[in-house]
Amino acid sequence: MIESQVESFLPLKTQWFHILLSLAGEEQHGYGIMQEVMQRTTGKVRLWPATLYGSIKRLIEANLIEESSARPAPEFDDARRRYYRLTPLGRRVLDAECERLQELVQAIRSKQTMVTERG
Amino acid sequence: MNIAWPIYRRLAAAFPHEFKLAFGDEMLEAGEEAIPDVAKRYGFLGLVRLIADLLVHIPIEYLNEMRRDLPYAARSLMKSPGYAVVGIVSMGLGIGLTTNVYSSHWVLFMRTLPGVANAEQLVTAENPASYPYIERYRETKDLFSGVAAVRNSVEFNVALNGRTGKPERVYGQLVSPDYFSVLGMDPQRGRLLRADLDKTGATPSVVVSDRYWRGRLNADPDAIGQTIHLNGQSAIIVGVTPPKFDGALTANPAELFVPTTVPAMLAHELGNDVLSDRSAKDFQMLLRLAPGITIDAAEAALDGVTRRLDKDDPLAPPQQDKAKRVVLLAAGTRVPIPREFRSKVLGFYIALMAIVTAIACLNLATMALARAASRRKELTIRLAVGASRFRLIRQMVTEGILLSLVGGGAGFAMAFGMWAVTDHTPLPAGSPISPDTALDWHTALFAFMLAVVCGIGFSAFPALQGTKTDVVPALKEGAAQQLSGQRRFGLRNLAMGAQVAGSLLLLLIAGFLVLGIANGNNISTNFDQKTMVFLFIDPIRDGYTPEKAQLFFARLPERLSSAPAVTSFALAAQPPYQLDDDDGFQLTVDDPRAASPVQKEVVKQTVGAGYFAALEEPILAGREFDQRDQRIDDRATHGSRDRVTTLPLVLNEKAAHALFGKDNAIGRHLRGNRRAYEVVGVVPDMKDAGGMIHAIAYPPLTQYDFAQPPGGGITIIARGHSAEDALGGVRSVVASMDPNLTLFNAQSLSEYLVRIRSAMRSALRTFGGIGIFGLVLSAIGLAGVTGCAVAQRRKEIGIRMALGARNSQVLGLVLRESATLIAAGTVIGFLGAVALAKALSAITSAFSDVFTVGVDDPRLLIGAPLLLAGVALLACYIPARQAAKIDPLQALRQE
Repeated sequence: MIESQVESFLPLKTQWFHILLSLAGEEQHGYGIMQEVMQRTTGKVRLWPATLYGSIKRLIEANLIEESSARPAPEFDDARRRYYRLTPLGRRVLDAECERLQELVQAIRSKQTMVTERG
Repeated sequence: MNIAWPIYRRLAAAFPHEFKLAFGDEMLEAGEEAIPDVAKRYGFLGLVRLIADLLVHIPIEYLNEMRRDLPYAARSLMKSPGYAVVGIVSMGLGIGLTTNVYSSHWVLFMRTLPGVANAEQLVTAENPASYPYIERYRETKDLFSGVAAVRNSVEFNVALNGRTGKPERVYGQLVSPDYFSVLGMDPQRGRLLRADLDKTGATPSVVVSDRYWRGRLNADPDAIGQTIHLNGQSAIIVGVTPPKFDGALTANPAELFVPTTVPAMLAHELGNDVLSDRSAKDFQMLLRLAPGITIDAAEAALDGVTRRLDKDDPLAPPQQDKAKRVVLLAAGTRVPIPREFRSKVLGFYIALMAIVTAIACLNLATMALARAASRRKELTIRLAVGASRFRLIRQMVTEGILLSLVGGGAGFAMAFGMWAVTDHTPLPAGSPISPDTALDWHTALFAFMLAVVCGIGFSAFPALQGTKTDVVPALKEGAAQQLSGQRRFGLRNLAMGAQVAGSLLLLLIAGFLVLGIANGNNISTNFDQKTMVFLFIDPIRDGYTPEKAQLFFARLPERLSSAPAVTSFALAAQPPYQLDDDDGFQLTVDDPRAASPVQKEVVKQTVGAGYFAALEEPILAGREFDQRDQRIDDRATHGSRDRVTTLPLVLNEKAAHALFGKDNAIGRHLRGNRRAYEVVGVVPDMKDAGGMIHAIAYPPLTQYDFAQPPGGGITIIARGHSAEDALGGVRSVVASMDPNLTLFNAQSLSEYLVRIRSAMRSALRTFGGIGIFGLVLSAIGLAGVTGCAVAQRRKEIGIRMALGARNSQVLGLVLRESATLIAAGTVIGFLGAVALAKALSAITSAFSDVFTVGVDDPRLLIGAPLLLAGVALLACYIPARQAAKIDPLQALRQE
């Protein structure tokens, strides 16, 4: 039952994948997610604000992430910020997506060796 | 901070309320921090990208919100099924009726003829003309680029080559060979009629309609060139018309187009030299205006031509010189209607439909208002927890649109059903009403648009009203509610009054029409209608020579009178009780002493010996026709100017009165249609199948009619102990005389009446439906509104009862308020309806015919308001009784 629910999200949209990946470690606020994605991809993927918040809204609606009540130390906090974390479902979806991508990478690698050997 | 920031801020503020509540602040923060970074990294293009991202997402977010409105709206409608059912039923009725009327009438008057080039140039004359006149008109090349002659509803006995069985009767048009070139039509297959090919003496050619080709010839491409037998004579099918074309100038679909150049044996309507007889006004004209000529100019010029032609003809009846002799109408649509009449007919339908739609909407608006009032708490809570007003309005409008779309679906289904019923109703033999009123996508689109407009119309206003709430007092659920309810001219009261007025208006107008049309639905006969049968026979079209046909009809009465199953019988040129077929018959009193001759147009019904005896109608004065009259042979004298036979004539009371006033009509002389008549009898007025009483002159059926039978054949009217007896009797007599003769359209009088009224019945259904619709709707609406008002005032009523108010006082309190509204609405609606009916009958004679019957009918004038007021009060009484049953303790505790 849950398996099929997880399957139904795959393959994940790029933005969704990056947002979920950013939340894999710790809770983050929206702008924080944007920055992390930028750093992780060395500026190759930029989540523009409307896209980001639209995606966050859909992810909440899909029950993949949720708002977290935990807040950082007051000196780092900003009252306007909301923090998000993965739901258990969100974590499973992310795992499944990572696995799928790894398989894909494996497949590409094996093909590449063949290509290199021949070359 | 650069210029991108204010734009960003504005756009961020344009996101839906719910989105902003969740992410608005954060998005601003993100923008604040991102803009300098983006500007540094990507420069101007980056900023453009940032703004574009916002622009793209605003509509997406709105759509997303709306998508959630729809299921919510569906859920909320399901929670109040009463409201939903009322809504769907009223919208369904309203849209169904409107769509049905739209598709059946609008299309008939508005759709241009299919396959015709520049239809707006086509005109026709109001009155038929004779063929020689039309040929003269054709010479006015400066006025008309084409002039064709058309004879409508010509019946042919058709046998297809190589097929056995009895010939079929098919309707067609007899047209001059230039008919299709005047229409500017291209063939679908083969060729159309052409003046240069279809000359007199050429092999007869016939063009078939697309419908005939598909229906009877199985869309066979080899049908072109095949031989077809028309009235026993062979002709060649040369072509097929474009799809959907079935004749100009007619509501009756024509399936065959036969040129006037064929021999008279093939089309008997061409007999007696109608093509050269200036007095035989048998043809409709189809004219195409030359470029730059207006219809008024053409009319004036043609009038002049006609006057000159009339002057050259000493036998033409004297006419008042002032009157127009030619009146032109636009002929580019299916049914040509007079120009000044056209806008009025359309206006009438539009007004009627607007009222129907408005009432349906008003009904729902009052319900929605009441519902909004009872949903006040829900709405207020949602406002209090942060829903925007726009959001709530959007939600309610979505509900409205959903409701009317479902209603629209129901309405379209209803329109389709009504159409299917009408479509399968058997049509009277002589007047096949066009079946080409099928619902098309225009109609569906129309219904859909109507539904959306109605949905917005009835929900937006209450939504605005309902959300204009002060949150705090509403939540306290107290006095504020009653204050707004007390407003005398509140929106709700206005809506309710308007609804009563509109419903009554509709009920009365529909009533006028229904009474007008159905007035004589029960024609009175002095015999059992089930014992009379009609059969039609046409020996000429079965291949008889005129002499043989005359001999047949001379022997027929003798044989019929010796048949035991037939108790009485008569021959006629048309069935009795037939509707007025516009066959105007101008009679002039032949009185040398009178200064100006009395001239009247009456309805002509040609009847044979013993006709009135067969109908068991008394003869008021003089005598009726006998076998001697039927033997008069006036063929030789017909149309010739020297020797004129004086024919006997019977008048009904109305005609006698119109022509001779109170004087005795017997023995008086009349002239009409180039014949002289002497009045020999007066009979009572009989209603026709439509309930109208016309002035009727009854000329005798003579040898001329037997040699030249009318389009529908000769009618044999017979009575026996039962319809079956009489039918069997006539059949066996005719079969014993000649088994090859076709007896067609056999039917009993009661069947005949049902069929002849079928066209009216559809009109009756429509108008009756509209009237009932008004009644039902206003009842539903009033009950709903009163019910809601009672629910809102529960507390107040509870207090009143706790303080000692009796049940009857509570009942009175609730009813009084509704009664005032109903009374006001009734008065307005009544005056409106009478004024509208008077205005309409003043404008056009077509309406006055129908309206005069209804407008003076006390049953309707008193009955309809009483009925409406009664139903309305009953509708209010039910919730009022509920109010009186309120238990004060419970009502007060509830709060």
